[in-house]
Amino acid sequence: MTVINKDLCTGCGICQKYCTVDAIHFVSDEKKCTIDQNRCTECYVCLRQKVCPKGAISPIELDNFYQQFQHVISDPVETHGVTGVSGRGTEEVKTNDVSGRVIKGEVGVAIDMGRPGMGVFLRDAEKVAMAVAAAGAELAPQEHTPLAALMPDLKTGKLEEECLNYHLLSVIVEAKCKEQDLKQVLQALQKVEKEIDTVFSLGLIIRTDEDGQAPALNCLEELGIPYPYRGKVNVGLGKPLSLD
Amino acid sequence: MTHSLHRSGPIESQKNDFCWFMYQTKGKNDVNIKPKALEFIAAAEAVGSENWGDVKTGPKTQYPIETIKDRITDKSRIRGVFTKRDQVVDFLKQIKAKDLGMSVVITGVLSEVLPACKESGVTPHSINYSLGVWGKKDNLPDDTTLSITTMCGHHMIPPKYVQHMIDQVRKGRLTEEQAATKLANFCYCGIFNQVRCANIIEETAKKDNE
Repeated sequence: MTVINKDLCTGCGICQKYCTVDAIHFVSDEKKCTIDQNRCTECYVCLRQKVCPKGAISPIELDNFYQQFQHVISDPVETHGVTGVSGRGTEEVKTNDVSGRVIKGEVGVAIDMGRPGMGVFLRDAEKVAMAVAAAGAELAPQEHTPLAALMPDLKTGKLEEECLNYHLLSVIVEAKCKEQDLKQVLQALQKVEKEIDTVFSLGLIIRTDEDGQAPALNCLEELGIPYPYRGKVNVGLGKPLSLD
Repeated sequence: MTHSLHRSGPIESQKNDFCWFMYQTKGKNDVNIKPKALEFIAAAEAVGSENWGDVKTGPKTQYPIETIKDRITDKSRIRGVFTKRDQVVDFLKQIKAKDLGMSVVITGVLSEVLPACKESGVTPHSINYSLGVWGKKDNLPDDTTLSITTMCGHHMIPPKYVQHMIDQVRKGRLTEEQAATKLANFCYCGIFNQVRCANIIEETAKKDNE
């Protein structure tokens, strides 16, 4: 946990500008600032930027697995222990030319929960994971994506009960499906987006043709989803190159 | 993370905004990456990459280049930003010729990135397409703030700090370039485009003063 020492805090409020999820509040009765522990994501921006002129903000030992998970996922400087990847701990399209994680005929689905900047309670990540799993998507295992470490059953996407009220800066629900199942997965997302109390940014990972075109996206129009104009292009220079 | 993918703001503004990445794959080519990382940095510097860094140290807007290079380990992530399509073309030509075997990703507006790939002689393997923001959008910051905060893919830039920086420029206490550099320092990876940010701040501050 990150806390503000009330004996040192002068109530200047400078720290409030530095919170990524607006979790630092000024308590007018006390004329001090305090961190809302339910919303703090342990991203450590306030600590790294050394924002408090009195040094009143400090971290307290993260004494259970879920708090450590919350911090490691919310703070990109950390490297995730199982996937070995820093940032949010996944490789998605970044190394697909070598890993071959998404092959021809498949679509990778990267649902960046809580992004941009809203943060996400894991209970909302669970709703989305369960929705895409029920629609036929195969959720990624924990060797590939951190959230799976909290998911005892990848078939359902249900998370461990004890983690549901933790708030993270963002976390990725990662899955893949057959191209022919993409429409129903997107329909499931169109339904569940109305049932969550946050946002997500959605990415679809596809093995493209040589011109960078992806016929799998033809279903978007039918679903009323605008055709994407931004992309993260893996240019196929990694070795050994996956040709699948 | 999907990191650089979901930037926002007017498309014309995004057309001058390209992120470059070098990636090692766990268990395949993730040992002794430093010599290759230095080759990537050399290529990026040669074409004038406006910002770059290593998430384990920070961006070059905040740290001396030699410090970032010295601290590279096998856990490093080397990436940066370009503001012109020609830089992307020259960079990709160099990296292809060096044949380093690391994964290379370019993120940006596809109508700019795909022709740049063709011109430099590389073939797209896979693309992560952005389908934008879904869910309960009512509490999102305003579009201008988002166009700046989304330039750090890990969302290390607090929306209130963006508004504070714009306010400081409006009051003449900072130039737009100084404010953009302060914001860039929050993004440890070095993919924050401080040139685009300065333009956004300048336009916003001007509009607010009219």
